[in-house]
Amino acid sequence: MPDISPETYVKVAKKGIANPVLQKALAGLQDRFGRGTAEAYRRLPEGPELRFKAHDIREKAIAHLDALLEILAAKIRANGGVVYFAQTAKEAVNYCITVARQNNVHRVVKGKSMVTEEIGLNPALQAAGIEPVETDLGEYIIQLAGEKPSHIIAPAVHKNRHDIADLFVKKTGIRRTTDPSELTQAARKALREKFLSADMGTSGVNIACAETGHITTVSNEGNIRMATTLPRIHIAFMGMERIVARLDEYEILLRLLCRGAAAQTMATYVSYISGPRRPGESDGPDEFHLVILDNGRSRILADPQFKEILYCIRCAACLNVCPVYGKIGGHAYGFAYSGPVGAVVTPLLTGINRAKDLCLGETLCGACMDACPVAIDLPRLLLALREKLAYGDENWQVKPASRMEGLAYKAWSYLIGHRYIYERFLKMAGVGQKLFPRSGTMIRRLPPPLAGWTQSRNFQPLAKETFIEGWRNKKAISNTP
Amino acid sequence: MSTPDQEYFLRRIRRALNSKPDFSHHGSPLFAHAPSPEELQILDNHRRRTAADRNALLSQLMEAALPIHLCVIPVPDLIAAATAIATLAEAKKPEWSAVKNIIVWRHPLIDLMELKAPLNRLKIPLHRTEPMDPAADPTQDRIEREHLRSAVTASYIGVTSADLCMADTATLVLRNRPGQPRSVALVPSIHIAVITLDQIISDMKELFALLRWDDRFRSEGLSNYMAFISGPSKTADIEATMVHGAHGPREVYLYVVSGK
Ligand code: SF4
Repeated sequence: MPDISPETYVKVAKKGIANPVLQKALAGLQDRFGRGTAEAYRRLPEGPELRFKAHDIREKAIAHLDALLEILAAKIRANGGVVYFAQTAKEAVNYCITVARQNNVHRVVKGKSMVTEEIGLNPALQAAGIEPVETDLGEYIIQLAGEKPSHIIAPAVHKNRHDIADLFVKKTGIRRTTDPSELTQAARKALREKFLSADMGTSGVNIACAETGHITTVSNEGNIRMATTLPRIHIAFMGMERIVARLDEYEILLRLLCRGAAAQTMATYVSYISGPRRPGESDGPDEFHLVILDNGRSRILADPQFKEILYCIRCAACLNVCPVYGKIGGHAYGFAYSGPVGAVVTPLLTGINRAKDLCLGETLCGACMDACPVAIDLPRLLLALREKLAYGDENWQVKPASRMEGLAYKAWSYLIGHRYIYERFLKMAGVGQKLFPRSGTMIRRLPPPLAGWTQSRNFQPLAKETFIEGWRNKKAISNTP
Repeated sequence: MSTPDQEYFLRRIRRALNSKPDFSHHGSPLFAHAPSPEELQILDNHRRRTAADRNALLSQLMEAALPIHLCVIPVPDLIAAATAIATLAEAKKPEWSAVKNIIVWRHPLIDLMELKAPLNRLKIPLHRTEPMDPAADPTQDRIEREHLRSAVTASYIGVTSADLCMADTATLVLRNRPGQPRSVALVPSIHIAVITLDQIISDMKELFALLRWDDRFRSEGLSNYMAFISGPSKTADIEATMVHGAHGPREVYLYVVSGK
């Protein structure tokens, strides 16, 4: 089963903030990609406005999802592929293991895919006695270290070259080097062996196109091409929402995906796959399977408030601009998806109460929405989740996160609605605040339950006089001749 | 043909979608049955392309190729291409073994190139991929596949052509066909592609317009495997330092036969 731990958000976030290597890496990543992506959007012939068109395209595709998936499945089957619709993570994983067993598969080479991370494919394969090998360089590093990816596109961003050098020496026995190109060469060599000896390759799906009946995979390294070309069997895993109707629509999304993901105009490799090798072809897999996964998505689809998150194409652009992600890193989010998209998707897929800290942690600054290639209103989605947490929701089995908070706001609304009592309250508070320790004029520490507020910042004390009092005094002064 | 898992799955989606909203305001149907005005314009431009336009596209391609480390080399004819490839083969060292082998596609343009003679002089064995008999029995099929696998892994250079090349992003477009296996452009350390000037198109919009509406391209469609290749394999997974040659070819050369 996949390892899901959004509950430890605060704890892991604190660790991340205290980790200087991570802080440096995240700052570098955001500086480069955040700006690069904005620049890449500006350079589009259609301008950044194209993102809104892409939003429409995704909206339309999701509204016709049943029809599009049906067409895709029919075309892939007509090309000799096998399509399996998996309702749950478990069904998807079991399907993969069954196919592997039937074909006597011992080793699986994997192209980077967050969906296989979501369903926990690696531990399941291992438990079944099958060796999964991550082949994306970043993922390979993570797998060697026995860790989890901390970014959707740059999974090993939290490791520096010295960490990686030590890891390679320990796990692969190479001579120590901290040169990225020598380290890459070492991985290239080790993984080439794996590619040539694997019986099965797996991949994700970036975007599928119903009109032509193809799935597409996008990579810069070429590992996905290797994993889908050399082994006998290729299984692709696809979140059910990753599809558009037509090629011309696909064209717009691919351009935006490359820009959003890596500020590129085009990734090095884009592959369009619709089936296994055909008669007369001497390479390519004998079998091609497409696993289309629901795993909680149809529930999101049924809620008009949250449906929009299904437009997401998992490019990671929102991570690259998010001030919260930029400080705490990806591990805090406790699931395959991190950053703003993780803060929305993880609660919806794994339980809103359980993952409440994720959506409460974001700042609602809106940077993610401007960076998103399909212009998803992430702040709105975060607010909608917070609303559920505040009031509870039966459909999503949400219990109000904090009764105290509700009561406090009730009390507050009563107070500000009753002028006389409000002013008494301010007077009392004005006197009471003298008891709290100060730093300069600011209050340094508040007592519980307000202690959290002053944990990492000071609190502005109440002014000596209220605005209204000040106004009256001012008028009194200016009225004296 | 549908399966029970599919039925159940799609039923849930339909239930979630409830009723279909109206998307007429987006101004485009779910699927198109004729080219849009924009696509008609693109197809028209494609047909009317002059020699000057083609050369302009070549310049655009060369410019786009620079930052992604794709070497684009215009050559007057196939003889010049063959000579250039032989020179390259002589200069480059194999990555995985001590001996040099080259694998090339069975393809009209590559066949015409006559690589054999210059490579013979360098004593570099040349493997040519052949289409397999579609009706081969499983044993024969396996033997031929293994034959290709060993030739392609032993080769440090793979020579292919391409269907088209998009100037805008310096992207080669290769569709799968018998005799033109995709591993030739993938497994060897160096990928060399040879195309003619008229195979350069403007961008992805043009490619898709051709694939959707032009009979020459439409009949084959995207094939079961179409690849976009834009330069050599690369990664920036270690401290965001760009390294070429992660898994795919470390170097990619594109010879454009301009016929001048
Ligand atoms: S929400 Fe938008 S920016 Fe974030 S991963 Fe999804 S598509 Fe990319």
